[in-house]
Amino acid sequence: MAISPPTGSRTRLAIVVAASVTLVTLGLRDAPIIRNLREGAATVTDPIESGVDTATRPVRNAWHGITDYDDVKAENEHLRNELEQAGAADITGTDAERQLADLSLVLNLPYATDIPKVVARVVSGPRSNFSHAVQIDKGSDAGLAVGMPVATGAGLAGRITQVTSNTATVDLITDPEIRVGVRLASTGDLGTARGQGRGDPLVVDSSIGPRVQIAAGTGVVTSGVDRSAYPPGVPVGTVTSTRTGSGGLALELVVQPSVDFDRLSYLTVLQWEPSG
Amino acid sequence: MSTRAKLFRATVVLFAAVVLQVTIMSDLRIVGALGDVMLALTVAAGLTGGADRGVTWGFATGLLYDLVLDTPFGLSALTYALVGYAVGLAGSALMRTSGWWPVGVAALAGAVQATLYIALANLLGDAFPFSHLPGIALVMAAWCALLVLPLIRVMWWVHGHSEPDRLEVLLR
Repeated sequence: MAISPPTGSRTRLAIVVAASVTLVTLGLRDAPIIRNLREGAATVTDPIESGVDTATRPVRNAWHGITDYDDVKAENEHLRNELEQAGAADITGTDAERQLADLSLVLNLPYATDIPKVVARVVSGPRSNFSHAVQIDKGSDAGLAVGMPVATGAGLAGRITQVTSNTATVDLITDPEIRVGVRLASTGDLGTARGQGRGDPLVVDSSIGPRVQIAAGTGVVTSGVDRSAYPPGVPVGTVTSTRTGSGGLALELVVQPSVDFDRLSYLTVLQWEPSG
Repeated sequence: MSTRAKLFRATVVLFAAVVLQVTIMSDLRIVGALGDVMLALTVAAGLTGGADRGVTWGFATGLLYDLVLDTPFGLSALTYALVGYAVGLAGSALMRTSGWWPVGVAALAGAVQATLYIALANLLGDAFPFSHLPGIALVMAAWCALLVLPLIRVMWWVHGHSEPDRLEVLLR
């Protein structure tokens, strides 16, 4: 049988491709109509999603139960939280020590204690294989706004990219499109962290010379430099290795995020907006 | 069946699929990747109705999916439409082979869509790492293969049976 399609099919394909390319172009330009459509869709689907999330939890727990018995899982969760908290405290402590030593700041800035916070539940993880965003069950009614940083007890998780009245979308820092201004907690060297996708470490482009030794385990926190999208001193992760950057003039740091992105259940939104 | 009835049924199926995708499927990850009901629906449409139906359903499911994602808008619609079209053509060409060919076509479509999506996303400047492709393609292929037979029956419910519906004979 010949597989040559009828002319009508080819015409339809051409129309659909043209329409798709137009939509992609509008989306890339962040056209208001696309933004409004997505916000409208979120307003409709997020409450349904929240309801179904509750109703189908047993099914999903059964799925996860294939490898994790509930009691072991709960215990692991508890221990993991404790470890994450300890890790965050360690990074924050190192950063505070450096700040004191440098006399660059007169106030201790323990991890975002002076910033109002809203705790929200994660109602769904990334919705496709190509997405790096999760949905939370608080929105503008709770005082959330686009751009606000989001964290866990362990450190920085991402930032809000879309808000409806009762829900919000959080783009995680594993997204290769996200850039986070960071500094090394021990030396104060600045850099820019970028995601490598789900399950992979972050990479920090730094201005540190390629011969400088950076110890594995060195903490990395948000820099909070002028106009930064994130407040200063929020733990981001720890250095696991270093390599020479593509230009050969500076180090690239491989950083394991503090946050375990596979086990997000609650997130804390920092009600903080960049200055300027 | 009237056109209005078909449209109503198609709308119900589309919304049920997107709710299923963003609620249950998005949590059922295997090796970090998840299945795609929307794509499996497109494949089923292409297999039952040829290139025309494949491209139409591909565009509709992709567009609906794009509305609830944070990825480049329109990219799912484009890739699903292309895959739906190709599946429709393949379906016409392979219809006289063994009864399991829809499963094979669906698996291949899952892997192809993942590859196409990542390639186009990178072309558009959305730096999605290619290192994740093998795992995603494998899981997408497996889920598409698993879902396509039930979804073919959903397509029959939406559109009724075409005459002669050789696919039905093969799957009976």
